Amino acid sequence: MRIDQDIAETIVDPNAYAAGTPIDDAFKTLRKEAPLAIAEPKGIDPFWVVTKFDDIQLIERQNELFHNGDRAAVLTTIEADKMVRDMMGGSPHLVRSLVQMDNPDHMAYRRLTQAWFLHQNIKKLEPRIREIARSFIDRMAAFGTECDFARDVAFLYPLHVIMEILGVPESDEPKMLKLTQELFGAADPEMNRTGTTDQGTEAGVNAIAETVGEFIEYFNALTEDRRANPRDDVSSVIANGQINGEPLDHFAAMSYYIIAATAGHDTTSHTTAEGLWALCDNPGELAKLKADPSLINGHIEESIRWTTAVKHFMRTATEDTEVAGQKIAKGDWLMLCYQSGNRDEDHFDDPFAYRVDRDPNKHVAFGYGAHVCLGQHLARMEMRILWEELLPRLDSIELNGAPERMKSSFVCGPKSVPVTFKMN
Amino acid sequence: MAETDFKTWQCRTCGYIYDEAEGDEGEGLAPGTRWADIPDAWICPLCGTPKSDFDMIEM
Repeated sequence: MRIDQDIAETIVDPNAYAAGTPIDDAFKTLRKEAPLAIAEPKGIDPFWVVTKFDDIQLIERQNELFHNGDRAAVLTTIEADKMVRDMMGGSPHLVRSLVQMDNPDHMAYRRLTQAWFLHQNIKKLEPRIREIARSFIDRMAAFGTECDFARDVAFLYPLHVIMEILGVPESDEPKMLKLTQELFGAADPEMNRTGTTDQGTEAGVNAIAETVGEFIEYFNALTEDRRANPRDDVSSVIANGQINGEPLDHFAAMSYYIIAATAGHDTTSHTTAEGLWALCDNPGELAKLKADPSLINGHIEESIRWTTAVKHFMRTATEDTEVAGQKIAKGDWLMLCYQSGNRDEDHFDDPFAYRVDRDPNKHVAFGYGAHVCLGQHLARMEMRILWEELLPRLDSIELNGAPERMKSSFVCGPKSVPVTFKMN
Repeated sequence: MAETDFKTWQCRTCGYIYDEAEGDEGEGLAPGTRWADIPDAWICPLCGTPKSDFDMIEM
């Protein structure tokens, strides 16, 4: 079955994700009329659009049947795919991180840092993260009665945490933020390098390649330093790590730093900013939360579902198979639409309502299966600490203008949440 | 069995922790539910990893 052309164009349109309602409407129609069907947007190879929660989980659990790395792991145009393959000796990837890997490499590379991101290790970071959270809340209070919560707090707090974990000095944080926004905001003229909507073209690919090049240059120097002077940080684990008795492949090591230095803060920032936006839009939920802080974890989980900062990843079938009654052929490309899964009416009661006490709230915002987000426990801990510190100091807060999301069909969340507030 | 005998299990894929003392309400597992009493077909609620791929850990 082929998806209606207007809807096919909408689900690849960065503007639709920024606006919110058009993408939710498109997915709502697909879940009802064509839950697993083929889209053929202009300039993009045909792909299956997976919109149902259960189908996303089913595919993600079968990581040998559905590979990450055989074709581009993120939606790309035919033109951009060809350019990348020409640049990368046939590979469809500009970086080779966990997201682009399959087994056996995926498991080996994931195991390298996994212990760092488990509860039993990150709990030792809690006092320091609380200090950092308090410093950003003090900073918010210092603004007086208004600020842009996204730009002034939410972008900066998770950035500072992950950069301390990586061992990147505070003076380099603005550079890391800028490069991250260039990478994930590649379709947004306010975020990308070109200042245009050239994503998917030669100019767009060159701009992303330049950003990746800057990251690699930076992390090459960091690697040298950590090999000479190992510390108790994630960069030292990557710089000195071995797989099967050999140091990490250089490109994979650079890609490891890049994913940690980008996905390690950007998604948490988006979720924090959009979570506050949702509370402002739903003052009854904010009142509930303030009256009963035991709901903080519920609010965090709901903000993760609500935001679904990673909108999609692509998979490639390694064999002929069948999903939800559709015949998928070996080599077919599939778009896992996490935002759609997280609004699936068959899985969530009243999915378009923001409820801090939603229970159960099992979502797919962190993915599922072997590729489930490595940093999910850290992200939850950072957000819990921030809300634990912020809510008692907040006498009132409301929107002070229209919030705005970045234009992206991949990683997408607010770039601006102007608020007016009273703090104690 | 004394309360101190409760054990903690962790998913090898995602790090989800099952604490026998706390159980997991969302999974329908009441506080005090022993690991051995959870069906073998049970999977990790965060990532779908089978029960057999959990390790007992000290917290």
